[in-house]
Amino acid sequence: MFFSIRHVTRFQYSAPVSESNMEVRMRPRSDGNQRCIRFDLQVNPRSKPNSYKDHNANTVHYFDVPAQHAKLTLVASSVTEVDEPEVLPAALPMSAWDEVDEVNEGAEHWEMQNPSLFAKPTPLLLALAKELNVDRREDPLTILRQLNGDLFKAIEYSQKATRVDSPIDDAIRSRKGVCQDYSHVMIALVRNLGIPCRYVSGYLYPKTKLEERSALGATHAWLEAYLHNHGWIGFDPTNNELCGVRHIRTAVGTDYADVPPTRGVFKGRASSQLSVAVRIHPTDSPTDEEDDFISVAAATNDIQEVEIPTWDALQQQQQQQ
Amino acid sequence: MAFPAPFQNYALGDAYDEMFAAPAAPREQFQALYDRLQELPLAELRRRKHTADQAFLNQGITFTLSGRDEGMERIIPHDLLPRIITGAEWAVIETGLTQRIQALNEFLRDIYTDGHILNDKVVPRDIIFSCKHFRREMRGVQVPKDIYVTVVGTDLIRTPAGEFVVLEDNLRVPSGVSYMLTSRQVMKRAFPELFQTCDVRPIDHYGQALLATLREQAPDNRSDPTVVLLSPGVYNSAYFEHSYLARQMGVQLVEGRDLVVHDNIVHMRTTGGLRRVDVIYRRIDDDFIDPLSFRPDSILGVPGLFNAYRTGNVTLANAIGSGVADDKALYAYVPQIIRYYTGRDPILNQVETFLCSKPKQLQHVMENIGSLVVKAVGESGGYGMLIGPHSSKAEREDFLARIQAEPRNYIAQPTISISTAPCFIGGSGVEPRHVDLRPYILHGEKTTIVPGGLTRVALRKGSLVVNSSQGGGSKDTWVLN
Repeated sequence: MFFSIRHVTRFQYSAPVSESNMEVRMRPRSDGNQRCIRFDLQVNPRSKPNSYKDHNANTVHYFDVPAQHAKLTLVASSVTEVDEPEVLPAALPMSAWDEVDEVNEGAEHWEMQNPSLFAKPTPLLLALAKELNVDRREDPLTILRQLNGDLFKAIEYSQKATRVDSPIDDAIRSRKGVCQDYSHVMIALVRNLGIPCRYVSGYLYPKTKLEERSALGATHAWLEAYLHNHGWIGFDPTNNELCGVRHIRTAVGTDYADVPPTRGVFKGRASSQLSVAVRIHPTDSPTDEEDDFISVAAATNDIQEVEIPTWDALQQQQQQQ
Repeated sequence: MAFPAPFQNYALGDAYDEMFAAPAAPREQFQALYDRLQELPLAELRRRKHTADQAFLNQGITFTLSGRDEGMERIIPHDLLPRIITGAEWAVIETGLTQRIQALNEFLRDIYTDGHILNDKVVPRDIIFSCKHFRREMRGVQVPKDIYVTVVGTDLIRTPAGEFVVLEDNLRVPSGVSYMLTSRQVMKRAFPELFQTCDVRPIDHYGQALLATLREQAPDNRSDPTVVLLSPGVYNSAYFEHSYLARQMGVQLVEGRDLVVHDNIVHMRTTGGLRRVDVIYRRIDDDFIDPLSFRPDSILGVPGLFNAYRTGNVTLANAIGSGVADDKALYAYVPQIIRYYTGRDPILNQVETFLCSKPKQLQHVMENIGSLVVKAVGESGGYGMLIGPHSSKAEREDFLARIQAEPRNYIAQPTISISTAPCFIGGSGVEPRHVDLRPYILHGEKTTIVPGGLTRVALRKGSLVVNSSQGGGSKDTWVLN
């Protein structure tokens, strides 16, 4: 199956800014069950993006806009082919835990098996692990499936409860959150079991219009757990399902901090307002037909002005060796 | 035999003394100084000391004590008497440090590219990945000429047996070289006649050697590269050094806001418009160097710099992520690292180190904390350190609790009585004080070490802590021909 995706991001600044530098992680990955066939990023004011692959093999586009501007618009268009993922067995033998420990011993996926900025064990998380019986009583795959469903029930989907940089404790305490919170909580719980686990940001093509849970238009987040012989397996606790052909992955990382769709800095004292719109169009062929896009949703998100610290305090941050 | 004046209070202890093999029996390289000091009246020594201190103050060679009263500026205490090293001793130091730095550079290249040493399990992966100076972003980045460390300051100490051993490597932004250079200028005026008789090897070419090393690392197609020194700014405690070195090299001293990246090229804002920059000797830590790639709240850095670096359009010295090789826990593996890459034993030994992250070694540390030096791995400048024999019960208990909470963050080493050198103390006589030695290594296509380095002195009687931030001072280091 092919998906045409058009992802529009607009930054509106309260006053003109200059020297914008931005990194963009929007190109769908070409690995696992998907392949990005075409990708194009347009920037207005006009700028020519360069790209590189980061240490997690995500494609990062970056550009700079030196001149003054009050508005910055990105239009990312892509066509991606997605196959049905591997069919998983109903269960694994208990000895699969030995393989989990072996993988850990080798530290091959060290970053994905250790705490990260947004996915770390806190007293609240450990209490939740107890409450949901997250332990090794059954084989790893069964435990992961159960946890996926248990979290779906334990946390209520709510767009207002958390922010983009909320720690997992906020979601655990209020039992409310969005896909990012479901994912961070589950990643921390899965890593706590010793299973390497990583954050995935991408798009979810909805079954029907507007009834499904994903944040900021159709950009969505879920996670992948690593099991020997099966590789990275996608779980979507926000929707209580295993990832399938509707999940289109753009970037993977330890948590959200590694893979925001845009990350940038600019010069000037201004606040910025972010608007995002995503349209996903499924086809049977890799052509890009603009006419019957489904408009999934649009959302805006206020970014607060950052108070700039004083020069001397920052210069003293530099430690002497 | 008793010591003559002005050595009347000189007492030899367990430590190796740089000057005296036995009371009143100076080592050969110190004979001239020994004779001269007996000739000079105390009043004359005091006068020369005063003149030397004035010279430091007038040049503004000051530093700030971080972690305490931020506004407190002082001149670094300077001792009037040189520490003298023979040519033969220096030859061992020079070959040993060259071997060590080349191995560490190769280690950095390896862990950020192929990872052979990790696959061969010579160094455990978790030591690398859990190090806060490890930069995952550097994986696969092509570093110009594979040179990861350009400027290194390695701390050496001398054991009671008289052997120089490595205490610690500084591979990020080592400081103090300006003290070495200015101290030499001052000493030439304080003891002009001794310089004549002693045949001291010169160090004044350091600035030019640094510039040459930086220039040869420029991106390939740049025939006349522009070098700049990137400083955090005037409020940084090492700002004097930044401006001093820029002047010595004849290059621009810039702050982050003076540089701008456009289309992968780094430019400096000048009165004549933008000018392309090819090599940046940066005195800013990785964390702060580029808010786009690292700490987003840093306003000291240059947005987009890392992307320009990745494309190979600019050289950073030292490379981003080099700090993983001076992690105090990794230090324990450096002898194996040297053997792995060179196939030879290390020429310079180092201090036995216990990793608190290893349960057995942790147990040893817990049981013997009273005789050990405990160090926090992420700290430098003598902060976060416990010297067992000089600590109180409460301090030891505090450290034990901290170690248990975060074992990866601590290492321990036996307390070594580091060597002593003669110092002019209190204007009344010459006494021994503990010293270390930090030579500055320039590593490029070849490795250059100016003969000498910064000798740091623990000016407090009996103290073993030489860091300037802990009240230590410095003295000139003479390497003889």
